[in-house]
Amino acid sequence: MEFSELIRTGRAEALLLPGPGQSPVRGTLCITSHHLLLSAGHGSPSDLWLLLRNVDAVEKRAAGNSGTITLKCKDLNVLQLEIEGLEETLDIAGSIEALSSLESVTTSYPFFYRPQSLKLGDAEDLHPPDHFYQQVALETNGWRLSTVNRDFYVCASYPTALVVPRGIGDEVLARSARFRQGGRFPVLCYYHSINGTVMLRSSQPLQGANRRRCAEDEELLKAALAQGGGRGLVLDTRSAQAVKQARITGGGTEAKAAYPGWKRLHRPLERGRPLQDSFVRLVEACTDPSLSMDRWLSRLDGCRWLTHVKEALTTACLAAQGMDREGVCILVHGAEGTDATLLVTSLTQLILDPKCRTLRGFQSLLEREWIQAGHPFQQRCAHSAYAQGRPKHEAPIFLLFLDCVWQLSRQFPLSLEFGEGMLLALFEHAYASPFGTFLCNSEKERYLCEVKTKTHSLWSSLNQSKERKRLCNPIYSPNPLALWPSVEPQSLQLWAGLFLRWTRPPEPAQEAWEQLWKIVTEKEVADPL
Amino acid sequence: MPSSRDGFTRDLCEEIPRLPGETRITDKEVIYICPFNGPIKGRVYITNYRLYLRSLETDSGALLDIPLGVIARVEKMGGASSRGENSYGLDITCKDMRNLRFALKQEGHSRRDIFEVLTKYAFPRSHGLPLFAFLNEEKFPENGWMVYNPIEEYRRQGLPNGQWRVSFVNKRFEMCETYPSILVVPYHSTDDDLRRVATFRSRNRIPVLSWIHPENKNVIMRCSQPLVGMGGKRNKDDEKYLDIIREANGQISKLAIFDARPSVNAVANKATGGGYESDDVYHNAEIFFLDIHNIHVMRESLRKLKDIVYPNVEESHWLSSLESTHWLEHVKFVLTGAIQVADKVASGRSSVLVHCSDGWDRTAQLTSLAMLMLDSYYRTIAGFEVLIQKEWISFGHKFASRIGHGEKNYADTDRSPIFLQFMDCVWQMSKQFPTAFEFNEQFLITILDNLYSCRFGTFLFNSEYAREKEKVMMKTLSLWSMINSDKGKYTNPFYTKELNRALYPVASMRHLELWVNYYIRWNTRMRQQQPNPVEQRYVELLALRDEYVKRLEEMKMTNSAKLSSSSASSSATSQMMPHVQTPF
Repeated sequence: MEFSELIRTGRAEALLLPGPGQSPVRGTLCITSHHLLLSAGHGSPSDLWLLLRNVDAVEKRAAGNSGTITLKCKDLNVLQLEIEGLEETLDIAGSIEALSSLESVTTSYPFFYRPQSLKLGDAEDLHPPDHFYQQVALETNGWRLSTVNRDFYVCASYPTALVVPRGIGDEVLARSARFRQGGRFPVLCYYHSINGTVMLRSSQPLQGANRRRCAEDEELLKAALAQGGGRGLVLDTRSAQAVKQARITGGGTEAKAAYPGWKRLHRPLERGRPLQDSFVRLVEACTDPSLSMDRWLSRLDGCRWLTHVKEALTTACLAAQGMDREGVCILVHGAEGTDATLLVTSLTQLILDPKCRTLRGFQSLLEREWIQAGHPFQQRCAHSAYAQGRPKHEAPIFLLFLDCVWQLSRQFPLSLEFGEGMLLALFEHAYASPFGTFLCNSEKERYLCEVKTKTHSLWSSLNQSKERKRLCNPIYSPNPLALWPSVEPQSLQLWAGLFLRWTRPPEPAQEAWEQLWKIVTEKEVADPL
Repeated sequence: MPSSRDGFTRDLCEEIPRLPGETRITDKEVIYICPFNGPIKGRVYITNYRLYLRSLETDSGALLDIPLGVIARVEKMGGASSRGENSYGLDITCKDMRNLRFALKQEGHSRRDIFEVLTKYAFPRSHGLPLFAFLNEEKFPENGWMVYNPIEEYRRQGLPNGQWRVSFVNKRFEMCETYPSILVVPYHSTDDDLRRVATFRSRNRIPVLSWIHPENKNVIMRCSQPLVGMGGKRNKDDEKYLDIIREANGQISKLAIFDARPSVNAVANKATGGGYESDDVYHNAEIFFLDIHNIHVMRESLRKLKDIVYPNVEESHWLSSLESTHWLEHVKFVLTGAIQVADKVASGRSSVLVHCSDGWDRTAQLTSLAMLMLDSYYRTIAGFEVLIQKEWISFGHKFASRIGHGEKNYADTDRSPIFLQFMDCVWQMSKQFPTAFEFNEQFLITILDNLYSCRFGTFLFNSEYAREKEKVMMKTLSLWSMINSDKGKYTNPFYTKELNRALYPVASMRHLELWVNYYIRWNTRMRQQQPNPVEQRYVELLALRDEYVKRLEEMKMTNSAKLSSSSASSSATSQMMPHVQTPF
């Protein structure tokens, strides 16, 4: 396919209407295969350089001999362009629509992006697949690294290397995988070194209406329990009612009789359509230009987004409490085990493990618990809150995770090494990025598309020292304790930095951030004295 | 001190913190019904200043340490025949968003004494006793009464000048009892003119200058409503006076009059002799209504807020419940009004006149907030103290009536959280502009705590006239004495000094937040946060910054010393130089 076929008019004169606190830009608009460029000439700093992948929805309106295009971006920004010439307007809108929704991964921008400061493949050693196992092996020898999934045959959404109880052979894993949806058999995802309890995750067992059992699956969980202290809790992220429904279609949950030592708890978390709807309604409320805002709070309430934040944090706290305070092993799963499950396991680790709260540690948590663990980023983040039409697989579960982390960072302002800038960057890159890190739905797909060798890693870009001020928390001081967040309603707040980012001038917060950095760098300069 | 005769209680009594001048009255074993942790057996101590509760179960320090001034109401709960555990005792309503409940033994009228003592000392003015501020013998290195000197403040603003003069027409409060003695008025109006205008303004509160823009010379004036009445009375002197104000900045545009009230209320006020400046009569003025509701609406709104945050936060539909209190909406209207006032003045379009009905509640909110937005001086600690002293205290915000210091009549409809609402607006601004204010949240909370405490004379009485009569400055201490003696505690480390930048907060509901650290601070679940809270880090950062500045000064000294006599440099300082030069 040639990109040029999709670009009917490459150039036009246009005016970008200003957002709050900005000035308008008039200049030449240019559509390339991956970008929209609006330049006032001479490399002016106000030039617009928009990745087309970032466009979520295009609206066009004609008026006489000119037109207006409204670009609603995945990062929630809304851009308005006035374009000279009616035909140009329609052509450009059509090109943007076509180019922004290309489905092929290998023609996407990351496969063409070649920044000078980075080398291809330089992130390969940042998060090696066996790194997590090496860490665990330092603490205990109860676990081993299995390569049963080396060719993605046992489980298409798992990575090649997985950590399992030492006494469990690969053939047992393979059989357990057949008893789990999508082959996601229980694997270790966190070892709590303080008391040796563990957290595992999986997908639902394929129990079905006639309550099938699987001896190997039972053996696997029994062995895990033996390693982790004897008492276990299955945290099912669905309601008991939803599990009953799932049984009809072949799914289910762990029967008490079959898994001695494991108790079960249902903590229903929203996912899929309802979560996407909540996101869409929240963004609608945040961008509603009507001035009668006296119903804002009840509208915010009605979106239920903060309720989802609260539920996610509460569930993670529950898991963390079980491990840390009661010495219980936790197995987390819902149905597929690729959404709410990962939300809970990753949040639990942030709460308990100080290593996850550094810039590098957080990246490796994301790499392990989201990317390699098979969260289907391509499907979930295909569209953001503005897309028209019924969502197919979109759901802002990763954004919900970032929001929960932001709540943690607000309640524990010193304990995370990274700041809001990092969370905003992750949100943007998950939805549209020049880097390959969030491409595809699984390691297998990434392997087939050669993502790791043909695209640059977001991590190597973020780890450049020039990014430090934007991403890092200047007042970070390592906190060895668990972070128990308050989930009281008054403690949780709307993440204004993200949801209201484009509707208010950003300077004051920016200034405070810079001032903070200034004080801290002054300190660093003063310290060697 | 009745019980100090027996040694045992004296020992305990030694451990109770007391201010100089504070005396112990009584103590009693009670069960404190903590809404968060359940009943706790303790001993309550009452002094003439505070209520102090120590646990008898654990060795922890004070469970409660509350100035009696905070108490709004003391009630008996249950009777001699009440059944059920802890059903007999005292119920105490506080002015700072909490209630306290003590259970006592039912036998022998055990609560009678403590009820009487509490009532007497919490409401001394209803019992012919002095407020504690008049007994307080604390000493501070700073004297807060020196913070505000009207002549100096007007001089800072460049007044008097060719258009504005200082008038002593109210020197002995003979023209207006609720105004300060020093006023700034148009140069071209005589004191006789002022007296005539006074007859046409509610409670004689004539338009006077609050603030002048340093460049465009537009002014913010404040006053009370004109006495138009049902008959639509006119007053030539008032009309002429407003014209003089309009012309003082040398512009021909209309004078903008901001009436803080909703227009229906302004109209309704005609029935009681008040009203507003209609443009048929005041041709050169333009009136805008700001839709801010009256003191009763605000009191009711805060009461609803308390209902949903104390003792427990309304869990389900928290935001909808919060909305139904309308508290944030009222905050929004006050802020929006102040922004309009400030913008009118700053944009150079015209001078403004602000009033409501009497000009001591909403008017004070609007003028002081607009001044805070326009003049960076008021964003410093000293400047903010001046702002409160000037726009609130000296211009007769009725603190005594609005707070009810030492009065037992909790249901008095004159009470209203107008000043708290202003402080909330200030907090909203400080949230939106984290580097623009020299003071921190602790400063705002300390001011509010001492709004009720009666430890200082600062917020006592309704007017300068009453304060002079009671010799407040001689007989009591100023809150600013305490604050200015320990400034570091109240300083915002992120403050960046900048001059003359106007700050306009975003007053949309989306950007306003509930001041959780104030309104919900008693909730213990809120408090279980990080062991080293960010405040502590602030202080560390501040110390570092001070140290850094000090070192820098030292460098400069040695540097200039080196320049003057190059032989005098020590090897140690020369080693220090390279590190410090880099950031400059």
